[in-house]
Amino acid sequence: MGAYLMMFAAVAIGLPLPIINLIAAVIYYFVNRKKSRFVHFHSLQALLSQIPTTLINWGLVVWAVWIAVTDLRLSEEFWSYAILAGVATLFYFIISMIAAYKARQGKMYYFLFFGKIAYDVAFRVREERATTEPVNKPPF
Amino acid sequence: MRLWRDLLILLAFAVAIFLGGYWLIKNVNWNLSERFEFGLSVEQEKKLGDLMKETLWNNFDKLEDPTVDSAMQIITARLLRKLDTSQYQYNFIVLAKDEINAFTIPGGNIYIFSGLLLESESPEEVAAVLAHEIGHAEKRHVVQKLVKEFSLGALVAILSGGDPSLLMDVLRQVIGTSFDRDQENEADDFALALLEKARIEPKSLAVFFERLNAKDLSYNRNLELIMTHPHNDKRLAKSRGYLTQKDFRAEKIAVDWARVKQAVRTKQ
Repeated sequence: MGAYLMMFAAVAIGLPLPIINLIAAVIYYFVNRKKSRFVHFHSLQALLSQIPTTLINWGLVVWAVWIAVTDLRLSEEFWSYAILAGVATLFYFIISMIAAYKARQGKMYYFLFFGKIAYDVAFRVREERATTEPVNKPPF
Repeated sequence: MRLWRDLLILLAFAVAIFLGGYWLIKNVNWNLSERFEFGLSVEQEKKLGDLMKETLWNNFDKLEDPTVDSAMQIITARLLRKLDTSQYQYNFIVLAKDEINAFTIPGGNIYIFSGLLLESESPEEVAAVLAHEIGHAEKRHVVQKLVKEFSLGALVAILSGGDPSLLMDVLRQVIGTSFDRDQENEADDFALALLEKARIEPKSLAVFFERLNAKDLSYNRNLELIMTHPHNDKRLAKSRGYLTQKDFRAEKIAVDWARVKQAVRTKQ
């Protein structure tokens, strides 16, 4: 559940740059992934699914700063992109809250695309260590 | 395979939201540029224009002649009649200066140098240049350029009676520098559409600048952008190739242009 709430880290800090949430999610993932496959799955899903929204929001910040510094005109393309960023962030907030609730109940919840990747990584059957018969050899 | 399908679905959603947003922005009048523009209000712009006019008269002489005034009246009336809605009350003034230039100052004040009238072969060509300048005014390019160059704070300081020498710099900026490529394109689009609505041949814009190019005349930087930069070939081609409505019939502007030029020559 905590993994999904990492995205609000940026909001707590005041959204100066939409990268804080990603950093928080990465730290959370590496600290908790060994706890269980279930925690590994949810924290990885939370981390991966934040990447596109973070990149889109970053793009918006860079574009806005660029406009403020150079052009001073807010084009139709910029507003369309801002709508995309807004909708993507809102959508991500909603599905994150749902996923956090499900994780709290101990249930799986799969995001489109990212859910499958996270599942494959977390629940991959790891190869057992080689169990070849020990061979007694003389010490020379 | 399923993974790729999921990725495609996500991308399709993103593209659909972007295009949907673009459609909404294009087709619904949100007045976004009005609300969020980093600039002056229209009222402040008019006030700045009035202050600049005073400075202008210290540096230029108005060309006053009944023939020229009447011709300008006829040309501008043709354009303004077809300007559906406007934030400004336009003033068009001819300045007695042997330079090929026209410029717009804030508040809908458009100036044209007598040198440009002499180089024009028809009133339609002058109308095309003026339509282009109206485009800059309507799209608020002038005030955007000034905010960019001088900062909003400096302009507000001028409005509240600040440094008069700064006002001279602002005027110099308006007269002597060019707009950026996007703004020129926007003003072209506006001019071509306005010319068509006013039943003036839209190709006149290209005709005028192509002739100046061919003559290799020197001209002010304000007009230079239209004529010299390589990408402007595209702009001239756009004017040349502008497709009018099928029922479009150009109507000549009823002005004896040779007489107007003669009047300009005698007054200059």
